[in-house]
Amino acid sequence: MTENKDSDDIAFHQLKQLERILECDPLINEVGFIHPSQFAALDDEIVGSDKSVAHSIPQSVDEFISTNLDANDLQHDSSIFWIRDHKLAISTEALFHLYNAAKHAFMAALTQQKMVDSLCRKTDKSLNKKVTDDNTGPDIFLESEVMNHSKALLLLSCDNGTAWNSRKLICSKKQCLSLLMDELLFSALILSYAPKSESAWSHRRWVIKAIDGKYPKFEDVVERESELVEKIAERSKMNYRAWNHRCWLITYMTKEQVINQLQNSRKWAELHVGDSSCFHYRQLLLQRMLKHCSRFDVYHVRKEELEWNEMLIKRYIGREALWVHRRFLSQLGSRPFRSEAEKEPYVVSNQDNINMNNFISSEMQLLHSCLSISDNDFEDIQSQGVFAASYILWMFKFFNLRQQLHNSQLTVLEDMPRVMGELKMALNKLCPEKTLLWEDQVISRIM
Amino acid sequence: MDLLSGELEVEKHVKYILSIEKKKDSFESVAMEHLRMNGAYWGLTTLDLLGKIETVDQDEVISWVMQCQHESGGFAGNVGHDPHILYTLSAVQVLALFDKLDVLDVDKLSDCILWLNFMEKNAATFSPCLLDRKLDICGLQNEDGSFSGDIWGEVDTRFSYIAICCLSLLHRLDKINTEKAVEYIVSCQNLDGGFGCTPGGESHAGQIFCCVSALAITGSLYHIDKDLLGWWLCERQLKSGGLNGRPEKLPDVCYSWWVLTSLILIDRVHWIDKVKLARFILDCQDKENGGISDRPDDAVDVFHTYFGVAGLSLLEYPGLKAIDPAHALPVDVINKIFFDRK
Ligand SMILES: [Zn+2]
Repeated sequence: MTENKDSDDIAFHQLKQLERILECDPLINEVGFIHPSQFAALDDEIVGSDKSVAHSIPQSVDEFISTNLDANDLQHDSSIFWIRDHKLAISTEALFHLYNAAKHAFMAALTQQKMVDSLCRKTDKSLNKKVTDDNTGPDIFLESEVMNHSKALLLLSCDNGTAWNSRKLICSKKQCLSLLMDELLFSALILSYAPKSESAWSHRRWVIKAIDGKYPKFEDVVERESELVEKIAERSKMNYRAWNHRCWLITYMTKEQVINQLQNSRKWAELHVGDSSCFHYRQLLLQRMLKHCSRFDVYHVRKEELEWNEMLIKRYIGREALWVHRRFLSQLGSRPFRSEAEKEPYVVSNQDNINMNNFISSEMQLLHSCLSISDNDFEDIQSQGVFAASYILWMFKFFNLRQQLHNSQLTVLEDMPRVMGELKMALNKLCPEKTLLWEDQVISRIM
Repeated sequence: MDLLSGELEVEKHVKYILSIEKKKDSFESVAMEHLRMNGAYWGLTTLDLLGKIETVDQDEVISWVMQCQHESGGFAGNVGHDPHILYTLSAVQVLALFDKLDVLDVDKLSDCILWLNFMEKNAATFSPCLLDRKLDICGLQNEDGSFSGDIWGEVDTRFSYIAICCLSLLHRLDKINTEKAVEYIVSCQNLDGGFGCTPGGESHAGQIFCCVSALAITGSLYHIDKDLLGWWLCERQLKSGGLNGRPEKLPDVCYSWWVLTSLILIDRVHWIDKVKLARFILDCQDKENGGISDRPDDAVDVFHTYFGVAGLSLLEYPGLKAIDPAHALPVDVINKIFFDRK
């Protein structure tokens, strides 16, 4: 670094301001990086809505300001930081120096902390414990340094794994529930502006695993976590990391929560039909709910989901996510789902045959209704035709009830060569770029 | 592919990659320094595929890589950072590019990978004193065969791939229970044929690459229904010729790599239009200053530059070195590791 001493000092001073802001208002729930010229626009936005003085810590957080803080310390450079109503903005002009200052401060504190730690471990393991109880001593000071600097650093560089790890280490040493709950607040703050931050999501999973069994109302934590994902998914479309986190939560949900989630996510999915991650989430919930259910229950749940899906398919033309979901539903209730009952040989009942016949002929009807309008030049309508035809082809090819299909008298299957010919023609016309795929799949199906 | 020959701006991409290291004066360039090891792998592999790896100072790179090694044996993303399996693979790959794997204490490193594996069980109740533990627990594996990324216990099929790929490059695959590792990967397969991060996780082309490559390296591809997975993969190709990573997403150059490798490994690459894909990648070049972006006219970065060039290499674009899809290293480097052993 070729920085001169002065600019280093200024940056360090700014870092102190940032850390003080974060310490004084632990409820900050939004951060943005903006050009300082836009600060004025931020002020205008809330004119009249708030009586607090610009550029000062809002009154509402007075309760969080501990008595030993000097009021003068709360001053901050208003050309660099803007704060109001738990919203913080940082000037993009200051980021580079602020980041360097935060990194150096963090790395220095971490190195010192590791040194003290290893000294404690080498001399006497219990010494470490004793000092912790005292709330004094060099390691306590260093811990708070590491916590403050890592917070500032992560705010500026949210996937710095070393900084996240340093926080995990301190949390696991302290074994203190409120410290862990603070980590949920802080990582939510990071996610408010970096909703795809893998480290932040992973940090939350670590925290949740750590509080499982310790927090009195753990279901509430799971519930709030699921709500957080939904809030973030609303602003950040098709966010794989966020939905993956929600899927992970399912193993911690109670039976009632699973049913509730199924109901709530249905409304959400209707408003976001392109977000296939939400449909995947429903698939996991359905499988979890039906795990120990009778064949009869599975049949009815599946039928209802199929009807809902068909309604959406007809309302939102050419949405891939809806057809992907239907592929899944076509298989729901078939062999892979029945691991519990798999040991007994599967006997195809007369009712199964009737259900299957009905299912397949209604799917063929859906296909024909989609193909009949696909002559149209509109792209969505053409896509709908491709999705419908490839869905039927896919279903026939990978149906896990193949065994069952062979043994039964399904009228539609007697006509298989004709159906396949029709699908091949439609697909080659609507989607000629994948001819080799259609060719291979149709041939392997007929044979 | 010959039709498109000459459209790849080789010289400009080389210049772009070499310029990245020199830029240290903006927030954007420094805020990513924690993953510099990945960046080194992306940049150097690209240079090697373009036949220009001799433009970098090999000794300087290697000495920096070795400074990133943690006492546990694992590698960090940069000097002074914590080790993670993500950076460990990149470090091994960079050393392999320079034919310098012999600078490693191979047993220590592979024990470290096993050790991470063992730590998973203690993730939630992790206590720092375990950091002092002697690495003498060779052979211990998570009951379910999965792998963690570091001592903090996050499990992901990406880490399974990395562990398997790393150990394969180090000739130490025999140290793990590959049968269990494969069993875990197979448990992450979905009804659509794809794979996710953990059992039940949504299918994603990046995860599929990891799982398929891990199965390929361990000789376990027979677990895959190739028609089913191949279908899902070739549905990633959009009208523009580009590939996306999941349904409903925009095309992106990086998926050229993830989808294409998987299709090649399961022998279904003829289901996509290769020329159209090459056209898409070439359209994502910054023809003036070099580098490749995710989509045409976006800002370039080293990550997409690597995946673009590697994708073109898989497509047998003229003038590029061939790349091994499972280990993600040039074929001549792989041959040296597996066939030239003393
Ligand atoms: Zn990308």
